[in-house]
Amino acid sequence: MEGLQDKIDQKARELSIKAVKKAFEKLIEQVRKGEEPKLIIKKRTLANTIYDRQRKLLLLGEQKLTRKFFDENEARRFMQTVLMARIIYEALVNNEYPTIRDIYYRGKHTLPHVSPKDKFKNTWEEQQESDAVLRDVEVLTGKLREEMLILSKEKGKVVGDMRLRSGNDVIDLSKMGHGAYAIESTPDLIEFLDVNAEYVLVVEKDAVFQQLHRFGYWKANKAILVTSAGQPDRATRRFVRRLNEELKLPVYILADSDPYGFYIYSVFKIGSITLSYESERLATPKARFLGVTMSDVFGDDVPLNEVYLSPEEIKSGDTKKLREEKKERFLKALKTFGYKEKLTKKPFMTEEERKNFIIRAKEQDLERAVELVGDKVYKEFTNEQLKSSRGGKKTIKKSPGYPWFQDPKWIKEIGIFFLTHSKLEIEAMASKGLKFLAQEYLPRKIETNDWLD
Amino acid sequence: MTENVESFRQLSPSEFFYRNKEIAGFSSPSRALYQTVREFVENSLDATEVHGILPNVVISISREDSSNPNYFTVSVEDNGIGIPSNIIPDAFGRILYSSKYKFRQTRGMYGLGAKMAILYGQITTGKPFEIYSSTSRSNKIFYYKLSVDIRKNEPIVFEEGAWEKKTSWHGTIAKVTIEGDWNKRTRDYISVYVKRTAIIAPYADITLIMPKFNGEQEGNGEEESEIVCYKRVTDKLPVPPKETKPHPLGIDLEMLKMSISESKNKTIKDFLMKNFQRIGEKKAEEILKIAGIDFDRNPKNLNDKEIEALYKSIKSVDFISPSPDPLSPIGEELIKIGLKQVLNPEFVDAITRKPKSYGGHPFIVEAGIAYGGKLSENLDEIARDSIKGQSGPFIALLRYANKIPLLYDEKADLIWSVVNPDDFNWKNTYKLDPSDIVVVLVHIASTKVPYKGVGKESIAQVEEIRKEVEAAVQELARRLRKYIVKKRKREEAEEKFRIFLKYIPEVAQNLAVFYDGVSPEERKKIAQELESTLKAIAEKKVKIIEEVKEE
Repeated sequence: MEGLQDKIDQKARELSIKAVKKAFEKLIEQVRKGEEPKLIIKKRTLANTIYDRQRKLLLLGEQKLTRKFFDENEARRFMQTVLMARIIYEALVNNEYPTIRDIYYRGKHTLPHVSPKDKFKNTWEEQQESDAVLRDVEVLTGKLREEMLILSKEKGKVVGDMRLRSGNDVIDLSKMGHGAYAIESTPDLIEFLDVNAEYVLVVEKDAVFQQLHRFGYWKANKAILVTSAGQPDRATRRFVRRLNEELKLPVYILADSDPYGFYIYSVFKIGSITLSYESERLATPKARFLGVTMSDVFGDDVPLNEVYLSPEEIKSGDTKKLREEKKERFLKALKTFGYKEKLTKKPFMTEEERKNFIIRAKEQDLERAVELVGDKVYKEFTNEQLKSSRGGKKTIKKSPGYPWFQDPKWIKEIGIFFLTHSKLEIEAMASKGLKFLAQEYLPRKIETNDWLD
Repeated sequence: MTENVESFRQLSPSEFFYRNKEIAGFSSPSRALYQTVREFVENSLDATEVHGILPNVVISISREDSSNPNYFTVSVEDNGIGIPSNIIPDAFGRILYSSKYKFRQTRGMYGLGAKMAILYGQITTGKPFEIYSSTSRSNKIFYYKLSVDIRKNEPIVFEEGAWEKKTSWHGTIAKVTIEGDWNKRTRDYISVYVKRTAIIAPYADITLIMPKFNGEQEGNGEEESEIVCYKRVTDKLPVPPKETKPHPLGIDLEMLKMSISESKNKTIKDFLMKNFQRIGEKKAEEILKIAGIDFDRNPKNLNDKEIEALYKSIKSVDFISPSPDPLSPIGEELIKIGLKQVLNPEFVDAITRKPKSYGGHPFIVEAGIAYGGKLSENLDEIARDSIKGQSGPFIALLRYANKIPLLYDEKADLIWSVVNPDDFNWKNTYKLDPSDIVVVLVHIASTKVPYKGVGKESIAQVEEIRKEVEAAVQELARRLRKYIVKKRKREEAEEKFRIFLKYIPEVAQNLAVFYDGVSPEERKKIAQELESTLKAIAEKKVKIIEEVKEE
């Protein structure tokens, strides 16, 4: 086995072994001196997550916490951290490639039950717990789990006219047949050899990726085609980032036209709160949201009869007047948030097609939209005040919104969503005709720079 | 003493009580049974402990007449001083003939209760009353079977007899048959009464034998008995009360007239000084000056107007508080022993307050508190019922007046108004958890207990007494709080230590892995070293936590 493993892995291993040892040997010293062992870790909390406007990244702040073993509230987590470090260390030394699930099982065992108040049976109960501890160890050692050769389930796939080296093999991504290359768990160990492409198109949906691949999209458009198959995993994000940073290829994201699709784009571009300590390496700040936008569906000028009214409003009588009022409010809100362009964009779909393809937004879609832009924007568009906690009936939770969605263009898109209560999946674009999607919609959007930043 | 008084009564006392049996607590067959037990037990305790005898009391309730299943024979045996044979018939067959008119604290007030039981038995079953008694000096045991002539208020003796004593036994066995009702409530009240009596009399041996309650009336053959025993756990008796002269503020006009008419003193000044406590020469002169009565007047010659003036004058001057000599508190030690023995709690404490007085009557408030341990399993049925209506922390209140347990009308009682959780902040001020149960015992000893109404089951609101009860319970609650806080701190520290111990081996073994180039044995040793160092740190740490908290 030894001989078969490649040099790149070996190098990563050595560096990680050093880092883990260094971080945890300190504890032995502390105990030997009779001191109380403690670990100093950067806080991974929302309060310590900072949005760097300059670099357009979510970053981990400088706040640190001291995790003491001799604090009854931290003893358990301390024990888990040491246990995790030991599992990782042993796996590294033994030339293994554990997955995060493996690690969970390797560490899980029963501990003595000490008192009726003690509700913990095992070292850890759920994988969520061990995953969180693993993130602690990443922060402590400054090593990502990929560098520590810990694998996770791969979701991301890529095809296109490029060659890369993975392990000891050269892989030609233009010769994958109907399939695609699965982006490995450790994308930093991939070496880019050569590439013949002008941009990267990241498709959220695996099915649409397959359709475009079979349709020969990447050949025709000189694109690298990537899918994250839903919420992107770390490897896919890191891989896309490297394509953008090292190969200088612009990255376009194609997702559903709904708040969740917008959020997936924001994970690619900015990073997520749980993994803010990795944004520097995982996020692609230059990524662009290609579509599907709300204005692609409705155009800038939403037809009056497609303005959403609740069942109560419809019952209340003068629907025409109500719709006019809502549209007025929409236009006024756009001004308020500094949208200065002319509203001239034409939709890609006819009213007839919209009738067939549009899905009605649910409560949770609205809630996610508020999470993105904040309740102040929501109030401007809908005249509804939100509360910070849920009252008796189910209502949307208040949220301050993310700074990177405060751009007037984004506010317009989400404003249209509030106005129409509608969402549209990319598959609907494909249903309109694959030809339309691959030969008309996507190229035209890219040519005319019709994307959001 | 009573003959002259009797002659101008239209209604004989026996007849009067017969018509008003509710007053004495004989309002229903069930309550009558409880009341009968009470009266005889109290007589027995007064015949023993007051005279320095460690009480042995056997109470037996049984159905002896198979054709009348609702006839119950109650017999109470004690090892008391006994009753001289010549006064037995009067002592039991004549109302208002008693040893209890003296000025000192006793359980019963007029010795009426036992006679009421006899009367009640007579009315309901027609069966006479039986008594065996012997004094320590007598070499005979005397036996009487008698009933009361209600009209004439005198005993009718059916049988009498005497035996030579073969042992040194002295005491009394009283036996009465009354109509009763044996249900769960009767059984509960009687057994709770005995249990609560045992709590404050740990120096007594008390045995209770009663029909086993199985939910239905059985009228045939041998029935099973339930036997409850409270064994003596200490030989210490409470200090017996001493007889004293009355305090001038504690008498009313009638009593003043009566004692003047019975007095043998030559001068009114002498009369005042000899018949009352707290009246010296100066005080007597001061009283008489205000009343405008010459010092050397013969008391017998005072007219009603002058006696009234004298009475007014007595009430207008200041006296030293009444002497506590006639009071007999249980004492802190006995309360603690009793609570511990019967309830088996983890914490117990008691306090006897200094004597105080209200309106010329001396009184002493005592209180006990018990918490934790096996207390909740040992609670009696009445306390359990009371707790059911509370929201927690739960207060199980044991009330006593002159060593008699008070079981009825808890919510109307002065003591309840002090300790009830709505007014007394057990939870926040005294740090009890909402699930905690605390037993609070309060004893009020006085030459005149201010009962509410004639039932003598609850204490009326008297500000002086209330203050004392409050002070006593607060002090005990503070002591309990100190104990609880300490206990919680200790538990917290122990809990912490347990958590550390749980994770130490795990941490030590994992850290040992970071040693390179050592054999598995060496690594094991390293892990053990780390483990014992961590344990030492944990012990030190928990000690420090405890010490800081102790301060």
